Amino acid sequence: MSKNARKKPLAVLTALLAVSLLTAGCGGSNGNNKEAAGNTDSGTNNTAAATEGTATATAEPGIDTSKKVELQFYMLGDAPKDLPAIEAEVNKMAAEELNTTVKFNYTSWTDWDQKYKLLLSSGQAIDLIFTADWTQYASYAKRGAFLALDDLLPKAAPELQKFVPESMWEDVKVDGKIYTVPATYKEYVTNGFVWREDLRKKYNLPQPTDLASYEAYMDGIRQNEPDMMPASLNSDIGNNLHYIYTELNKMVGALPYGMGVKYESPTEVYSYWGSDEQKEELKVMKRWQEKGFIPKNVLNIKDTMQDPVTSGKAASMFGDNPTRFNDMVMKISTTHPEWELGYYPFGKTTGYATPVHPVHNGFAIPKSSKNPERALAFYEKLVLDKRYNQLTEYGIEGKNYTVEDGYYKLLGTSQTNGFTREGMNGWAWRNPEYMLFDKGFDGVKAIFDELDKIQKPDLFLGFAEDYSSYQAEKAALEQVEKQYLFPLEAGLVEDIDKGLETFMQKAKQAGLEKIQAEWTKQWNAYTAEKGIK
Amino acid sequence: MHIKDDHYTRLLQGLAYTVIILGSLACLIPFLLIISASLTSNDSIIRDGYHLIPAEFSLEGYKTVFTFPDEVLRAYGVTLFTTLTGTTLGLFFMTMAGYVLARKDFKYRNTFSFYIYFTTLFGGGLVPWYIMMTKYLHLTDSYGALILPGLMTPFLIILMKNFIRSAVPEELFESAKIDGAGDFKIYWRIVLQLSMPGIATVGLFLALTYWNDWFSSSLFINDTHKYQLQFHLYNVINSASFIANMGAGTGVSLGADLPTESTKMAMAIVVTGPILFLYPFIQRYFVKGLTIGAVKG
Repeated sequence: MSKNARKKPLAVLTALLAVSLLTAGCGGSNGNNKEAAGNTDSGTNNTAAATEGTATATAEPGIDTSKKVELQFYMLGDAPKDLPAIEAEVNKMAAEELNTTVKFNYTSWTDWDQKYKLLLSSGQAIDLIFTADWTQYASYAKRGAFLALDDLLPKAAPELQKFVPESMWEDVKVDGKIYTVPATYKEYVTNGFVWREDLRKKYNLPQPTDLASYEAYMDGIRQNEPDMMPASLNSDIGNNLHYIYTELNKMVGALPYGMGVKYESPTEVYSYWGSDEQKEELKVMKRWQEKGFIPKNVLNIKDTMQDPVTSGKAASMFGDNPTRFNDMVMKISTTHPEWELGYYPFGKTTGYATPVHPVHNGFAIPKSSKNPERALAFYEKLVLDKRYNQLTEYGIEGKNYTVEDGYYKLLGTSQTNGFTREGMNGWAWRNPEYMLFDKGFDGVKAIFDELDKIQKPDLFLGFAEDYSSYQAEKAALEQVEKQYLFPLEAGLVEDIDKGLETFMQKAKQAGLEKIQAEWTKQWNAYTAEKGIK
Repeated sequence: MHIKDDHYTRLLQGLAYTVIILGSLACLIPFLLIISASLTSNDSIIRDGYHLIPAEFSLEGYKTVFTFPDEVLRAYGVTLFTTLTGTTLGLFFMTMAGYVLARKDFKYRNTFSFYIYFTTLFGGGLVPWYIMMTKYLHLTDSYGALILPGLMTPFLIILMKNFIRSAVPEELFESAKIDGAGDFKIYWRIVLQLSMPGIATVGLFLALTYWNDWFSSSLFINDTHKYQLQFHLYNVINSASFIANMGAGTGVSLGADLPTESTKMAMAIVVTGPILFLYPFIQRYFVKGLTIGAVKG
């Protein structure tokens, strides 16, 4: 008896262990099985519905809408307060035309990336989900999270297929298949110098047009306005100093792991870290640090980049994109109308500007969707039907906004109105033909027009890095960067050569060479596949 | 001898007081800083940094938090509801579990203890948990998602079991039985009465967990009306930092105003306030409940 009693827990333990190991080890394949099961399920549903549908006339040619469904729609960010009203309006139309209703779900910005991953990996039924380069569209597509749309498009959304230019469909392809419907609105999110024009005039300082003139401007501010920060900076050194510097130096995008690729010669990959080019950058930052442009405690500053400028604490920003520059102008126009902001896009310095790549905003149908056809047909409505489009972008006319002389006008303030412009975060289904802009946006349009003259395509955002083979090294390297590279990039290290040497040594220990070699291989494969020379 | 002893005692006392005073100051000052910052005008924070006494007094922060009182109040309501139901139900379940496991005449005592204990060592991880909650239990957007996961905490069950075992003598069960009490009556009339300190401790732990919970909201709630307070406020701040950091490369521009420094601090005060008042009422049980409960039997 006592023997038995002692054995029992042991048996339980081994059983439990076995179960836990099984579930842990096979989590991935389990998920796939479930997804596969879900698909066959929906397959049978569809055929069943189809046989039923032959009796009743279908409203939309191509797809069968006889069965009423509810689509699950997933967006990033926060829902606007008036969402229920908008949803009701949309559903009224959609129920009539497509025999479907839609539930709009929002992830909120808190841990959105984790939630996004869970939504896609848990296999719960989702019919439409936002995609973008910054939500790792290409890598999710590669891993089979989305449904290929190639065969579905002509059937469920032929108009949409015609509406999106062929070249865009081409650009969003991953391994030869389309997994997302790209947005066709063209915008630039490239950087440009932002500075206080009124102060520049007052002290007769040069206009920032390149690195040298920007430095001269900051010099002037330092001398004339000792209490002001010459530039607004925060602890995100990588994004707010380094990548802006490299953009000005015609580098391709924000490449990781110190990889260097020039826009003019995309097939020549080199290690930016350790190069003379990087030393030059570090020297500049060191000089800026000595001149007091970069605060000593920069790595501890958590302010937003814009706040210090709009509150008058800082006199410039190294770089920001036109849309956000415009936001600042609008903000200042109400709080400090006597101030003036200047903007000089980097495109004019480098000679080219790249509008956003089509993968920057899009919508995909996850593999787990039970109604992919209906989802696509609904999405077509959202983009191409003016009623759907303007309702979801701007809210209810007369309640949320009005149109005056062709300009969008928000009723009340952003605090009192339950649906601000693009309040549903509907960047992906913007339709340039139906878009309304508020008057302040004319400034951005002017900048865009200028950049249009020198535009060149951004060919590189379709690149999907597969870091599964060097995940551990990647994590180790990120630590090393934080510890050794950021202080260098903020100009906080006395001896640049020695600091860089230490950093390179630590980075190599973390596995830099392996990462760079593997990344280069993937990059070369990408440029070869897309025919980029 | 006597004088020397006194001298040492006094020295020790002096030392102890200094350490405690320094320690409590170290805990208090950041809190005071938050209170003061929440009452300072935002411009002054950006310009001069934080001060212990507001450089420019302003109620701006609180005004912003309560611009939409319905949102904050609704989130308050959700949190209150989940905290109350969660704590009540949780206490009931955990004292029951503790009582049953503490009874020596329960045959599968060890198996069950082990089963509970085992989950503290091995968990399925986030993804299986998420799948379980959303795909099988269909708890997305329901209060169940906020309450259920916290009801049975292995650590607290073990704490409860040990507390009951040391607070209620074995013989009491027997004598109660002889007097004709059933198992449930023993639980209700004897065990619960004798384990007040343990219940208070576990209850406070539970209430704190529910009050501070934001992760469940974050994972399972899409409907803004069911956001818990912590998550609602956390989300407001996060949206701001998202727009600030990610926006640069994405062109995301949201019309809404970002919360300022003073608003963030006001939020912190609004969130911590009520639970602070719970401490004094439970504190007297706290030390006893925790120490006795922690002795492993």
